[in-house]
Amino acid sequence: MSLNKNNFSLFFLLFLTVTVFSQERVSDSTKTETLGEVIISATRTLRQLSSLPLPAQLVSKKEIQAVNSLRLSDILNEQTGLITVPDFGGGEGIQLQGLDSQYTLILIDGVPLIGRSAGTLDISRITVGNIKQIEIVKGASSSLYGSEALGGVINIITDTPKHGTHGSINSRVGSFETYDTSAEIGYKKNKISINAFINNFRSDGYDLNDTDALNTVEPFENYTFNTKLTYDFNDKTHLFVSGRYFTQGQEYAASGDLRGESSLREWNTQAKLSHSYNDKWQSDVEFYATRYKADEFLDTEDNFRFSASDFNQLLIRPEVRATYNPTDKSAFIAGVGWNHETLVRTDFSSKPEFNSPYAFVQYDTNPTEKLNVILGARFDNHSEYESQFSPKVALRYELSEKLAVKGSVGYGFKAPDFRQLYFDFSNGTVGYTVLGYNAVPTRIAELQQSGDIVNLFVPLTDFEGQLNAENSIGFNIGADYNPISSLKINLNIFRNNINDLIDTRIIANKINGQNVFSYYNVNEVYTQGLEFNSTLNLTTELKISGGYQLLFAKDKTAEDAFENGLVFARETPSSPSIQLEKDDYFGLYNRSRHMANFKVFYDLIDWGMDANIRGTYRSNYGLFDTNGNTYLDRYDDYVDGYAIWDIAINKTIYKNYRFGLGIDNLFAFTDTQNISNIPGRILYGSLNIQF
Amino acid sequence: MKTIKFLTLSVLFIGFTSCSEDEDDSSTPLLELESQTITNLYAPQIGGQGQGDISGEFTKFNFATGQSTTSETEWDIAFRGSTIIVNGGVSLGTNDEPARTGNAAAYLETGTFTNISAVNPVLFEQDSDTGYAIPSGGGNGWYNYNPSLNQIDPIPGKVLVFRTHDGTYAKVEILSYYKDFDSSVGANARYYTFNYVYQPNEGVTTF
Repeated sequence: MSLNKNNFSLFFLLFLTVTVFSQERVSDSTKTETLGEVIISATRTLRQLSSLPLPAQLVSKKEIQAVNSLRLSDILNEQTGLITVPDFGGGEGIQLQGLDSQYTLILIDGVPLIGRSAGTLDISRITVGNIKQIEIVKGASSSLYGSEALGGVINIITDTPKHGTHGSINSRVGSFETYDTSAEIGYKKNKISINAFINNFRSDGYDLNDTDALNTVEPFENYTFNTKLTYDFNDKTHLFVSGRYFTQGQEYAASGDLRGESSLREWNTQAKLSHSYNDKWQSDVEFYATRYKADEFLDTEDNFRFSASDFNQLLIRPEVRATYNPTDKSAFIAGVGWNHETLVRTDFSSKPEFNSPYAFVQYDTNPTEKLNVILGARFDNHSEYESQFSPKVALRYELSEKLAVKGSVGYGFKAPDFRQLYFDFSNGTVGYTVLGYNAVPTRIAELQQSGDIVNLFVPLTDFEGQLNAENSIGFNIGADYNPISSLKINLNIFRNNINDLIDTRIIANKINGQNVFSYYNVNEVYTQGLEFNSTLNLTTELKISGGYQLLFAKDKTAEDAFENGLVFARETPSSPSIQLEKDDYFGLYNRSRHMANFKVFYDLIDWGMDANIRGTYRSNYGLFDTNGNTYLDRYDDYVDGYAIWDIAINKTIYKNYRFGLGIDNLFAFTDTQNISNIPGRILYGSLNIQF
Repeated sequence: MKTIKFLTLSVLFIGFTSCSEDEDDSSTPLLELESQTITNLYAPQIGGQGQGDISGEFTKFNFATGQSTTSETEWDIAFRGSTIIVNGGVSLGTNDEPARTGNAAAYLETGTFTNISAVNPVLFEQDSDTGYAIPSGGGNGWYNYNPSLNQIDPIPGKVLVFRTHDGTYAKVEILSYYKDFDSSVGANARYYTFNYVYQPNEGVTTF
């Protein structure tokens, strides 16, 4: 472990000093009575979280600061039912309701992030330094957001400036030579507000496995710049402009001899003009553009360029929305927009372009005092795959003041990505070929002409149609129960039926003995389970919360194979095969049956201190088939379940100075063979200055 | 070549043969089923996997003797890398592939080794100039190929049923492609460990 001891000791000393010598009472005069938590992502209108008919969670800035999180992945890993899963490229994608990262839409201030080079959107590239609130909406939400919102939506709401001129500086130093430094400055007066944020995050990475020349995570450094401007022309017309730029450089190595660099650059710009015509009518005109660029190369020891690849994706999205509130008990929202997407990438058959106009409408109404109904639908037309119609209905009924039941059914889809349509890749050393669905007819014809194809297993007529979007119907049924004012309990039962899952299959044999692969719609998969959350405010100073998710994620074809007695396994490698039964099927890879968290937050208001301890647990899971039958069954090797405990303590002095100390992964859990994104124990110190 | 005979006679099958009363009545007493495990049968190959054309002698095996053999005619099946050929049909024409001199044939069946108790003669196929009776390639025949581990695993529940070069039958369950079941080292590859049951009586199709 390469902890910068000097820096850390400095923080520690400072912390001790202020803790011991500054026992003056910090008055907490800003104890505002909030009207309850408000969420925008669930309906695209401001809604009170507690009355929402959909399963949703909020993570507040207060919690992010209390636990001294750095990246979005840190804080989401502590939320019930969410876990980040590292992919082969080192990115960390979120798993939600047992669905992969590619089925959860990630938004910043309501507009989507792009850059899923292999399906995963790496959420560790998002700093939490300027986040006001994270909104997590579970269940299919394509009725509002279209593609990718199949499992749910995570929306990151960034800070807006308070009145006057304010600024803050934040620094955290921790193990693995990890430095996170942020500065933010904001100004707001009369009609104008402007703020700017900069974050620098760098780390020496870490190595869990000393036997090879590579590090598990190579050293990296990144910067995030974010600026927002709002201008009120008058009471009714408002302008919002924001820009974000992210850049990261990381060492990249494939072996001791092959070394290079990978770099990421991403920018997002958003402009929105809002106007209220009267009490009932309001409209937004929004323009969003974002580009994600990833380049990497490897050089040999004698500086010969061994390989280079690039990925350059652009999304442009104009959207117009109107809201109409005929009464204070009902609201309509409708919008039309256009997604224009291009990608330039190594190993592509063409420079593809997607065009997708869309329209959506939603009606949110309270027919009675106790009943809330949301009806919504969206239509996405698309140039490259079949158009999608995504309806949704949600209901919430208050049985009593303490108990409400809710339920929702929605359609979700994920468009085939560029790779699944246009990939044209041949492995140089082994010699296999992967073709996107749309690239198959011409490339196979070429390969046949050159005599490379021995057998064609799938007729080319299979590729004349269009690849279907992966789609699902999601069901959520739950209850909110507040037996006493200090105790909140939420229960949600979910089921997602996913159809047309896109998988690869062998379509031809090549003369070199290798195969040609392409994509096709095949699997039917479901995820189902239940989620339980509870929060107890024992006193104003002490808050205890716990969450649990039970999950079954299975492939229906696999289930049938087990049921029909077609799957066999060996109890030991040398024993004869035995026939497996339905109960022996565990399910999809990388899914834990049980996940749980437990958190205690203690606010010593009189001392200007707060402290917390958090634990997260995930039960055992399988990463791949280990006994040769291609299914995850009872006799496979599993990654053992584990728990991670974190503690943090923070102290505020002179109102504007806040020191923090903490240990993430207190018991230094690692699994060097199976888990690449848990480096071990992290000690850190942090300092935050407000002005 | 180290082939170790573990057991010649399986008690398991005594019960089976004693049930076949018709056969007990025949004038010549039937030979007993031979049940054996062959351990670490080495089947090297040259080339392949991006290292040029595949070549090298096949490792031939004879069920009647329970031994590997270098005979050009008295062999039933032969191994080279992950490829298994039978002494029947015609050569696919790869380098160093032996001529077929017998009438061997094969097919793959799904089930547990003990449950596959009879030969279904209509399923037999012989090697041909377009492909082998036991298909090659991951997921097509007797093994799955795991590209992330670069590992070959016998598919559990796949039983290879053979007709020998001289018309008797055998069934085989491959247990491992690695020396001493240890797939952690690449150099351990191409060592077959398999169970087989050989029916030495001509015309008897049960195991």
